[in-house]
Amino acid sequence: MSLLRLAATNLRRNLLRSLLTIAGVSVAVVTFLMLRTVIWAWNAAADEAVPDRVVTRHKVTFIMTLPHRYLDDIRQTAGVREATAANWFGGKEPNHPNEFFQALAVDPETWFTVYPEMVIPEEDLADWKTDRQGMITGDVIAGKFGWKKGDTVTLESNIFEGEWQFHVSGFYTPTKRSVDRNTVMFHWAYFNEQSPGKEQVGWIISRTQGDPNEVGRRIDRMFDERDIQTVSQDEATFQRSWLAGFSAIIYAINIVSVVILLIMMMILGNTVAMGVRERIPEYGVLRAIGFLPRHLVALVVGEAVVLGLLGGLLGLGLAYPIVQEGIGRWLEENVQGFFPYFDISPGNAVLAVLLAIGLAVLASALPALQASRLGVVDALRRVG
Amino acid sequence: MIPLSYNLRSIVVRRTTSAAAVIGIALVVFVLASTLMLSAGIRDTLSRNGGVDSVVVIRKGSDNELSSIIDQNKVGTILSAPGVARSDGDIPIGTGEIAMIVQLAPTGNPLGLTNVQMRGVDPTVLQKIRPRFRIVEGRMMAPGTDEAIVGRAIEGQFEHLAVGDTIEPKKNLPLKVVGTFEDGGSSLESELWADIDTTRAAFGRQGIVSSVRARLDDPSSFAAFEMTVESDKNLGLEAMTETEWSDKQSQFLSIFVTALGVIISFFFAIGAIIGAMITMYASIANRQQEIGTLRAIGFRRRHVLLSFILESVLLALTGGVLGCLAALGMSFVKFSILNFVTFSQMVFKFHATPSVFGVALVFTVGMGVLGGLLPAMRAARMSPVEAMRN
Amino acid sequence: MMDATAQQKPGAAAAPLVSLRAIKKTYWRGKEPVPVLDGLDLEVPAGSFEALMGPSGSGKSTLLHLIAGLDRPTAGEVVVGGKTISTMGESELARWRAATIGFIFQSFNLIPVLTAQQNVELPLLLTKLSSADRKKRAQTALRIVGLEDRLHHFPRQLSGGQEQRVAIARAIVNDPQILVADEPTGDLDRQSADDVLTLMTRLNQELGKTILMVTHDPAAAERASIRRRLDKGVLV
Repeated sequence: MSLLRLAATNLRRNLLRSLLTIAGVSVAVVTFLMLRTVIWAWNAAADEAVPDRVVTRHKVTFIMTLPHRYLDDIRQTAGVREATAANWFGGKEPNHPNEFFQALAVDPETWFTVYPEMVIPEEDLADWKTDRQGMITGDVIAGKFGWKKGDTVTLESNIFEGEWQFHVSGFYTPTKRSVDRNTVMFHWAYFNEQSPGKEQVGWIISRTQGDPNEVGRRIDRMFDERDIQTVSQDEATFQRSWLAGFSAIIYAINIVSVVILLIMMMILGNTVAMGVRERIPEYGVLRAIGFLPRHLVALVVGEAVVLGLLGGLLGLGLAYPIVQEGIGRWLEENVQGFFPYFDISPGNAVLAVLLAIGLAVLASALPALQASRLGVVDALRRVG
Repeated sequence: MIPLSYNLRSIVVRRTTSAAAVIGIALVVFVLASTLMLSAGIRDTLSRNGGVDSVVVIRKGSDNELSSIIDQNKVGTILSAPGVARSDGDIPIGTGEIAMIVQLAPTGNPLGLTNVQMRGVDPTVLQKIRPRFRIVEGRMMAPGTDEAIVGRAIEGQFEHLAVGDTIEPKKNLPLKVVGTFEDGGSSLESELWADIDTTRAAFGRQGIVSSVRARLDDPSSFAAFEMTVESDKNLGLEAMTETEWSDKQSQFLSIFVTALGVIISFFFAIGAIIGAMITMYASIANRQQEIGTLRAIGFRRRHVLLSFILESVLLALTGGVLGCLAALGMSFVKFSILNFVTFSQMVFKFHATPSVFGVALVFTVGMGVLGGLLPAMRAARMSPVEAMRN
Repeated sequence: MMDATAQQKPGAAAAPLVSLRAIKKTYWRGKEPVPVLDGLDLEVPAGSFEALMGPSGSGKSTLLHLIAGLDRPTAGEVVVGGKTISTMGESELARWRAATIGFIFQSFNLIPVLTAQQNVELPLLLTKLSSADRKKRAQTALRIVGLEDRLHHFPRQLSGGQEQRVAIARAIVNDPQILVADEPTGDLDRQSADDVLTLMTRLNQELGKTILMVTHDPAAAERASIRRRLDKGVLV
């Protein structure tokens, strides 16, 4: 029988305590994975960015608009293959005032070329292009409002006055998880004729060739001397700039993740220390028989590792249903902008289990040292 | 009935295992209390914006000032509505303001541009409109110039925001920072203020303002004011007291932070409860002889049950007090969050209120009871005979 | 050894204080039944000092537990002071023990985190006495056992003999009728053992306590007025 086997058998002696310890470690692992996944998911949107897309916006703030002619200028710039533009409409469905969705006025000829991950049937696209009041919508938001193809719907805006009528031309299907399914897109021309500020676009998105950042700089240089300057960033950078505002929360979440690991260590350390204290007489017997101090260390650390491993695996097993399927699905549906993907990455999963094992070793270091330092006679004296 | 000193001393005697359970609980309470303090800090800061004798008028349907557009020539009409306080010369105390977002680099991170709220104001009426406003360093900007003042909360948090610096939120718009201001701890202290005409010109906001602010002569005048302002459907305006306005802004953020914190604390609490259970089980296992003796002497099962639950609660309370003390230390920390409604960074403090600690206390006792329940039941179930068997 | 020298107090033709009839007690080791007592009868007169002796596993401790109301027989009847305790519920038994029995254990069984006085006060917490009265009674009990100068010492600060005497003070503080002692001298050196036994004899003779003692110690058995022997669950 190997020492590891002996260590595992020892855990059965106080089964309740071992089980509680494993449970405690598993709870810590589930929480840890939840926190790490939140951060991972937040970054996932940026990771999913298409590398050759560049977003150009008003230099001061994205809330300010750019002149529509900038779109033509950008299309002429070297390195730009295709460019499209969008305006933020701030849409509201009058019957569901609290339901949030994205409403964009876009350039119909180019939008879906620049965003090929929004897939739309050819004939729906053709219909939409010819219908000035046409609207393409995401399936989730259409479901919420009960919209069907061919319906005429009315929208209002948080920013612009009046009621706006649209015809549902079709639905897009995203090929990537990071693409929002709560967006509606309609013609910029229709928008332009009704809105107060004329010939303005919100931001311009280009597909580029070559180094996207070089193209972006080229665009910005071009507008630098004009009235309205721009900032062009590749899509990943653009999405990550949103995260900067949450850096404090992310920092806090990281700190809290460390705290949960500390709790895990407390639980493990406590249990191991108790076990060692109880078994001092036996350790004496083992040493008398001829075992060496390092064997005792192996025994103590071995028990801890088994606890950590089992707790880590159990936690991992629980994490999938709770974090990924439970919390994750809810977040994905409702706060998709932030969390398009809420999956436990394989990296995080392995990390969690390794941490459980590593912390077990760390937590058992001191008790193991104490066990190894026992004088044989002292230990034996505590028998009976 | 079994003396409390028995439990207290038993906890102290088993120093290490008690410490492990106590620390576990302290950590949980720390996280919970800190979160509740942050949430209270958010509500507190944003509530200081409030006032039932000040009103905000924005375009109907706008969630925030940024998307609200009001024609400049309507400002006079709004300010002549009933209920607006007047100063000598019968001039209504009110003004239009322009709200903007600019991108500034945080100190030490020149590439990490973050949104900051900027406001175009009329320096000549500031003090009258906002009674709690004070310049704390430097001086007020001169009207019609390119001078600016900076809110105390963000001073130093962003590059070039100290008195004497020049900041260029937009190309060809250099602003000279001439002073720092306070506004009674409200969220306005996270803003950068410049002259309204300079702002209008620089950002192409000719002929419009974002919002209109005014003082009421008396809080009860609000009803009349609101009715007049909102009655004209063509104007499409909405009037609110500052208090209502700030509630709207803070609700979401406060709920978000609270929800996040409570969920995390819940999971942590399970871990801490398990830790406490392990400690209690071990303690009871080691005191079997004592338990048996107490039962032999005549103490009943419920005495034993109560005693050990109480012991677990005492353990928990020790941890809870430690956690709360640590959380109090967070009062000195500033927390900067992106406010989803205004899209700008706001700086909040951790605000210790009695209710935060009340909740933490209840939570602590709850953890103590849950952690001690099963072990105490085991102790109570021991028959005196088996307990005393050596 | 058949030695049933009974010392009767003059005029004591009273009913026995303790009466056991047809007592059977079976323990279970897993699925195996282990019969310890099998049809035992016993009567103990009031005011006697009895020693129960016998080899390991003879059932003497079990018998003691039954008389003290710590355990119930599998069959048969236990009557103490006119009350049939073998049919009492847990709660009732606890109350009865508190009022009627004083315990003396081999390993003293003092609560290590309480002082001598606090340990002695423990049984009084089950009564309605005020704090001041409890303290007074505890001090009196400790005076009887000669330890009034050790009121605030913790058990670890006392010698074995002193600890046992504190335990005895605890046992008498409620003025019980019966003292039940399980190997009271088992963990003591000769001198301390003698002191304890002298104390117990005094309690029996001066205060009229009925004492039931299980012991291996011949010197202890010597002090008893009645000696009984148990072998394989049967009084011999």
